[in-house]
Amino acid sequence: MEKLIIAGRAFDSRLLVGTGKFASPKVMARALSASGCEIVTVALRRVDIDNPTDDTLREIDRDRFLLLPNTSGARSAEEAVRLSRLARAATGINWVKLEVTPDPYYLLPCPIETLKAAEVLVKEGFVVLPYINADPILAKRLQDVGTATVMPLGSPIGSNQGLKTRAALEIIVEQSNVPVVVDAGLGLPSHAAEAMEIGADAVLVNTAIAAASDPVEMALAFKLAVEAGRRAYEAGPRDPLRKAEASSPLTGFLRDE
Amino acid sequence: MKSLKVNGVERQFAPDEMPGTLSALLSVLGVGPATVVAEVDGRIVRREEFDRTQISDGQQIELIKLMGGG
Amino acid sequence: MKPQSVNSKLIESIGSVLEALQLDRDRGLWEQRLRQVNSQDVETAMASRPGTYSLTKLLALVSPAAESYLEQMATLSQRLTMQRFGRTIRLYAPVYLSSHCVNRCRYCGFNRDNRFARVRLTVDQAASEAGILASEGFRDILLVSSEDRAFITVAYLAELATRLKGKFSFISVEIYQMLAREYEQLFDAGIDGVTLYQETYDRDAYARYHLGGPKADYEMRLRGPDDMALAGMREIGLGALLGLADWRVETLALAEHASYLMRRYWQSHVSFSFPRMRPACGVPSDEFPHLLTDKNLVQMMLALRLCFADAGLVLSTREPAELRDHLMGLGVTRLSAGSRTSPGGYTDPQANTGQFEVNDHRSPAEVTAVIKTQGFDPVWKDWDDALWARNTD
Repeated sequence: MEKLIIAGRAFDSRLLVGTGKFASPKVMARALSASGCEIVTVALRRVDIDNPTDDTLREIDRDRFLLLPNTSGARSAEEAVRLSRLARAATGINWVKLEVTPDPYYLLPCPIETLKAAEVLVKEGFVVLPYINADPILAKRLQDVGTATVMPLGSPIGSNQGLKTRAALEIIVEQSNVPVVVDAGLGLPSHAAEAMEIGADAVLVNTAIAAASDPVEMALAFKLAVEAGRRAYEAGPRDPLRKAEASSPLTGFLRDE
Repeated sequence: MKSLKVNGVERQFAPDEMPGTLSALLSVLGVGPATVVAEVDGRIVRREEFDRTQISDGQQIELIKLMGGG
Repeated sequence: MKPQSVNSKLIESIGSVLEALQLDRDRGLWEQRLRQVNSQDVETAMASRPGTYSLTKLLALVSPAAESYLEQMATLSQRLTMQRFGRTIRLYAPVYLSSHCVNRCRYCGFNRDNRFARVRLTVDQAASEAGILASEGFRDILLVSSEDRAFITVAYLAELATRLKGKFSFISVEIYQMLAREYEQLFDAGIDGVTLYQETYDRDAYARYHLGGPKADYEMRLRGPDDMALAGMREIGLGALLGLADWRVETLALAEHASYLMRRYWQSHVSFSFPRMRPACGVPSDEFPHLLTDKNLVQMMLALRLCFADAGLVLSTREPAELRDHLMGLGVTRLSAGSRTSPGGYTDPQANTGQFEVNDHRSPAEVTAVIKTQGFDPVWKDWDDALWARNTD
C-alpha cells in the first residue's frame, strides 16, 4: 500500500484518531495502540484550577504519535488563530487541525471563518488541516491558500451516520491536489472502508471508537477497515457496469479501413 | 492586596504572598507544568519561559493545556 | 489498474510532467505499452467511472485493442455527454483577420515560405466580416490570426472585441501566442477564451515542423495555456495537429496537459479541438506519415470524452459533412458552420487563400437543420457577456 504523505511527511497508517470522549486515559492509550494510528488529535482547554493535575494526555507517547492540536471551541477565525498559536507554543508542533464551529448543536464548521483563519495560519508557517463541510469549491479555495490537506465531513460530528456527503466527497477526491481526510460522522468501520474505497487519502475517527463498548476492539476494527478500503481502491475497483444499449449502431458509419 | 485574574477567576494575594513568576504561580495553584502554555495579558508564554516570566498585580493570565479532543 | 493518487501540494510545470512521463520524446516506450494493452485492460478502463481520468485508463482506450470496442465506447460517450451537456450543441464561426505570418510551420498554408497574396483586414473590415456572421445568427465568434504581431496587435484585438461585444455573447481568439499580461488586456476587452494548439507534444517532431519564427520555441508554446489561465481566461482550447506524430501518444500528452490545467486553474474550462491534417495550398501530403483515419479520429474523441466528462469537444469544418453529422451524436459540444478560412472570406469567398481546406461547405442554416434532425438543439448563445465581471469593472 502506498504511504500517506502530508506536508512532505510519510505515514503508514491512514487512520487518524481523536483522543476525546474516552472513559479513561488508559483505555484511550490501548485503543490508540490497537488502531495503528500515527496521528492523534488533541484539544486545548483551560487548566481546571480545581483539579489541576488531571492530565489525560500523559499516557500518549509523543515519540510514537504525532499530536495534532485542533482549534475546537473556536467560533471565529480570530479565536482559531489564537488557539493555533497557543497550541504551537504548548507543543512545539506547527501542525494544526483548523476547526471553526460557531454552531453549538451540530458543530458544523463555518466556511468563511475557516478560510480566513487558514490564510493567516499558512502565512505564519503552520501546516493547516482544515475541517470543512463537503464543499468542493471551498476545498479548492483552501488549497489555493496553501492548506496541507482538506478534511471534509461525512456527516455531523458524533452523529455516526456515515458518508451522507458521499456525492460531494467524490467530487472533492476527484479534484483535490492535496490529501483528502474524511473527518466526522464515521460511525462504523464500513463507513471508513467506504471512504477509502472512493479514494479518500485517510479518515479521522473519534466518537465511534471512544464511545464503543469495547474501544480497543473497535479501534482494531477501524484499522482493518481502513486498510481493506485502501487496498480495494489501489486494486482498481470496477464501476457497476452500465448496460450499453444503443437503439441503432453509432459507429456503423466507419468503413473498415 | 494584589490580584490576578487566572482563567477568568479573580484571585487575591497578600502582597508578600503574590507569586513573582509564572512558575511560582503554577506551584501555588498546584498545577503541573507538563502540558501547559500560558497567556499573560494576551501574550503567549511558552513553558520554557515560565521561570523567567514575571507577573504583576492586575494581569490577566490564562493557563491552557492539551486535553483529549477529536 | 492503479489509480492516480495525488498527495503532493506542489504541482510542477506541464513541461516537467511530460518529461517525467516521457511523453515529450522517445515515445517508443509508449508505443510499446499501447501494443501491450489487451481486451481485459480495455474492459477495465470502460468499467471505471465514466468521465474520470487516469493515464492508464486513457492508454487502454486509445490503444489498438480498443478498436473493437468503439460501439460500446460510443454509447457510453453519448450518454455521458447527454448527462453533462444535455442535448445542446453550440455553434460558432471563425473570422480570419490576417494571413501574414512570420513563422515557418511546414504544415500550414500561411507558412512564411509559401508564396501567395497575403491579406490583412482592418478593424472595420473585420467588424464587417463579423457582421455577416451575426446576421446569420452566430453569437459565438472565433477571431483567428497568423503571427502578424505588427498589425494584429493587442490594441487591434481589443478594439475589435469592443466593437463586437454588442453583437456577440462569446468572443474567443485563436492567434499567435501572447504573454499573460497581454491576455489580461484581451480579457478586459471582452475576449473570454483562447485556443492555442501545441500542434505536437513530441519535441523532435515539433522541431522538424517548426522551422522558424517565434512559434518554433516548444517550451514557450507549452506555457501558453498557463498564461491564459493566469490572465483569467474562462475558456482554454487545446489541441494537437493530428498527423504530425502518433495520434495515440499525442492524445496521452494532450490529456496530461488538460488534466494539469484543470488541477492548477480550476476556474478555467478546457476544451479539445481535433484539427486533422488535410491538404492545403503548398503542403505536400507525403511528408506526413501519421495521418489518421476516420476511425482513429472517432476513437480519440470517444476516449477523451470518457476521461473528461466536462471538457468541450470542438469540431471545425475541416472535417467533411457526413463525418461531422455522425460525430455530433458522439460527444461533440461545439461546431463551426459555414466557415471561411481566408481573411475577408465572408465578404468575398473567392478572393483569398485559405489556411486549410474546408470540407463541410454547408451553410449555417443547413448545419442547423441537420443538428435538429439528429435530435439536438443548436445553441447560438450560451450566456450574456454583460453579466461577467472584468478587471476594469
